[in-house]
Amino acid sequence: MAGTLITRAIQMPPQPNREDIEATWNYLQTGITKIMTNLQDGMDMTTYMGIYTAVHNFCTSQKATNIGGGTTGVGQAHRGAHLLGEDLYRKLKEYLNQHLAALHQESKAHTDEALLAFYIREWDRYTIAAKYIHHLFRYLNRHWVKREMDEGKKNTYDVYTLHLCQWRIEFFTLVHEKVMSAVLKLVEKQRNGETIEHGQIKQVVDSFVSLGLDEHDASKSTLDIYRSHFEKPFLAATKEFYQTESKQFVSENSVVEYMKKAEARLDEEEERVRMYLHNDIATMLRKTCNEALIADHSALLRDEFQVLLDNDREEDMARMYKLLSRIPEGLDPLRQKFEAHVRNAGLAAVAKVASDAEKLEPKVYVEALLETHTQYQTLVKRAFTEEPEFTRSLDNACREFVNRNDICKAGSSRSPELLAKYTDVLLRKSGTGVEEAELDATLTQIMTVFKYIEDKDVFQKFYSRMLARRLVHSNSSSDDAETSMISKLKEACGFEYTNKLQRMFQDMQISKDLNTGFREHTKGLQLDKQALDSSYSILGTSFWPLTAPHTTFNPPPEIQTDLDRFSLFYKNKHEGRKLTWLWQLCKGEVKTGYCRSSKTPYTLQVSVYQMAILLLFNDKDVQTYEDILSATQLTPEAHDAAMGILLKAKILHMKPDGDKPMPGKTFQLNYDFKSKKIRVNLNISTKTESKQEEVDTNKTIEEDRQLVLQSAIVRIMKARKKMKHSVLVSECISQIKSRFVPKVGDIKKNIEILLDKEYLERLDDDELGYLA
Amino acid sequence: MATENAPVMITLQSNDNHIIDVEKSVAERSLLIKNMMDDLGEGAIGQTVPIPNVTEPVLRKVIEWCEHHRHDPPSTNDDESDNRKKTTDIDEWDQKFMQVDQEMLFEIILASNYLDIKPLLDVGCKTVANMIKGKSPEEIRKTFNITNDFTPEEEEQIRRENEWAEDR
Repeated sequence: MAGTLITRAIQMPPQPNREDIEATWNYLQTGITKIMTNLQDGMDMTTYMGIYTAVHNFCTSQKATNIGGGTTGVGQAHRGAHLLGEDLYRKLKEYLNQHLAALHQESKAHTDEALLAFYIREWDRYTIAAKYIHHLFRYLNRHWVKREMDEGKKNTYDVYTLHLCQWRIEFFTLVHEKVMSAVLKLVEKQRNGETIEHGQIKQVVDSFVSLGLDEHDASKSTLDIYRSHFEKPFLAATKEFYQTESKQFVSENSVVEYMKKAEARLDEEEERVRMYLHNDIATMLRKTCNEALIADHSALLRDEFQVLLDNDREEDMARMYKLLSRIPEGLDPLRQKFEAHVRNAGLAAVAKVASDAEKLEPKVYVEALLETHTQYQTLVKRAFTEEPEFTRSLDNACREFVNRNDICKAGSSRSPELLAKYTDVLLRKSGTGVEEAELDATLTQIMTVFKYIEDKDVFQKFYSRMLARRLVHSNSSSDDAETSMISKLKEACGFEYTNKLQRMFQDMQISKDLNTGFREHTKGLQLDKQALDSSYSILGTSFWPLTAPHTTFNPPPEIQTDLDRFSLFYKNKHEGRKLTWLWQLCKGEVKTGYCRSSKTPYTLQVSVYQMAILLLFNDKDVQTYEDILSATQLTPEAHDAAMGILLKAKILHMKPDGDKPMPGKTFQLNYDFKSKKIRVNLNISTKTESKQEEVDTNKTIEEDRQLVLQSAIVRIMKARKKMKHSVLVSECISQIKSRFVPKVGDIKKNIEILLDKEYLERLDDDELGYLA
Repeated sequence: MATENAPVMITLQSNDNHIIDVEKSVAERSLLIKNMMDDLGEGAIGQTVPIPNVTEPVLRKVIEWCEHHRHDPPSTNDDESDNRKKTTDIDEWDQKFMQVDQEMLFEIILASNYLDIKPLLDVGCKTVANMIKGKSPEEIRKTFNITNDFTPEEEEQIRRENEWAEDR
């Protein structure tokens, strides 16, 4: 039919008799055929207006009254005028069906790309025609169709929709499989690297989408047709293509190469959606690709992860992360491997520096821990986009190797101890000359390790001891750094943790004011001798981790007056307070007036014990061991330690020479003492002293822990009144965890102690009760 | 492209072969003409548009209305809840416009229906409605020159069926 009716410049026949359906339709068909098949030649207004007018005239013809059927009864009158048009509508539908049947016949001659081209060409032609005819039949739409739809008649659509419906029923259902197979062939060509005319696919997509008409409401469109006839076969073909391709690629290439390939393919598919697919397919297409390209090979990828970790292949790890993050639960195995790897790396780093555990420098140890942490934190940042779960794996691993490694074999307290010592090294005035900014950065790093420390109470103990020493000897490198460190600890562990540390600072400040007051006071006294240049620190017993000296001591008369005056001054100020002299922390300076080799006198920085010994030589050049002990009242141990340093520095000579100071030896002032420096520091603590201190600290930790446990138990029981034994134990652990990891045995032991002390009582059924 | 200085004109031809030039934007108050111009595109400009169902006087009258309403917002399509439909109020200009003899009034209504100018169709129908309002059947017959072809029985039946609508 298409060929036979086309003639150039069709002359429209004269307007038909408006009441004659056959004549009207014949007239209309001429015009519609021109529109359907030959619109490119243009259309003149006479034709356009002619068709419109013919439709209008037919629908408004007086024949209306007769079509309503039989008698024009009174009953029908108030239903309103009957609208004409059904015949036209039916004729149009028949015409479309014939046209589409012809198209179907014609389509059989084409396959693949030719078929696509045919489909698209005819679709375009048809839809443009549909728009024209829709307008030309507007009178029908406005009245007859509208009435039918208002009355809820199914299967009556406006003229444009009618075109789409008929296309779908009479043509699309017959050819869509062939069209799709052509589309898929084209896509496969593109996936194989050929350039294709992808605009064609886009047009097919648009056509399929347009055909999605809602059965119930023609004004709405759905994607049903597109989903079932395009998406489904498209996804199936995609899956098959990538399954085949990836299987082959994997067998011929390395995993890293495969990852690059998969990444490229995934990007390509995203681009494909943008280029010519409907966005609706995006999610499903991604899922299909993820399955075929990643999930199917996930085991292989994960196996490669360890190799990548071992070789620091950051970029490839990032790639693997990106790929596996696309599939559900894809990353869990990676996290596990990562955690184990970091733990081992940390342990290895410690083992490397732990060969000589006794002489281990705190700095070396802490830096070994930090280095591992920093390395893998960077990896988490760069390769794993700082994903929280990976960060957690990193934290878990770090906690493990910080608390349980070669150095900590004896006990987990070694880590906090070394960390505290390193902090002391940093904060102590020393020759290292660390820059202020750099110092703060290092302290921040200390806090990184601190975060992982389980025995935070051990750190606290050592830290406070060393802080005490720094404060008493006033050799902190900077007040700002001290304050900053304390606020960092406070931030991490809360007010209680740093309370005592802050009180120590306060004591130092109060002491400063007190000394000023004392100096004023001394000035006011009319003294016959020049007052001693002295300074005193008053340290609250409960805040400072200090104990009274192990030795007795008789301070030399030269300072005794000042001491007494200060004691009196203080007692007047604060009645009822008891002062205990911590001689072992006292120090002073004495000047030599006797040296032959130097005109300027040396200044000797000495402990108060050394001072007492040296001052004896103001009266006599030679002193016996026994005399010195009786004058100073020092125990032999304290004396020998102080004397040892004086001898070594050659301030004094011992006779007979050799061996250690002991009863029977005599000591003589060395008039020929020489030193390159004017100031000579003799106040050095010996190795044995600091060892002793360490042992003491560790011992107090154990004692304190028992108290912490007991107070926690009492606190919990006071709140709950009654509790099962096992529940109490676990509650206890969760409360104390932030300080240290308590042993269950210890908790049980302390519960027993509290039972004995009658804080708690045993009830039936393994329950404990609180006794007020 | 049309500019403000030189409005695009199109030529209409009434069924009695009179030629009327009119601005395209005015003519496009008719959805028929608008759709056609859109469909046929640029090529259609310059061609004479035949209006086979409308005579010159009616066409001129319709164009007069379109001129006056050229800047009205485009009517919202098929809006059932449109207030315009519910009331019989007609704006003053339109009332004056519709003061024509009955034959012209019906011609305008038919023309606006044909040309697809919904607001004008509405105004026409409202005018007729106002002519009916408040009149007895006898008066209505007189107004529109209708001969009563009901039998008395039929008339009685209709009256009973429509009793509910009577004024009380």
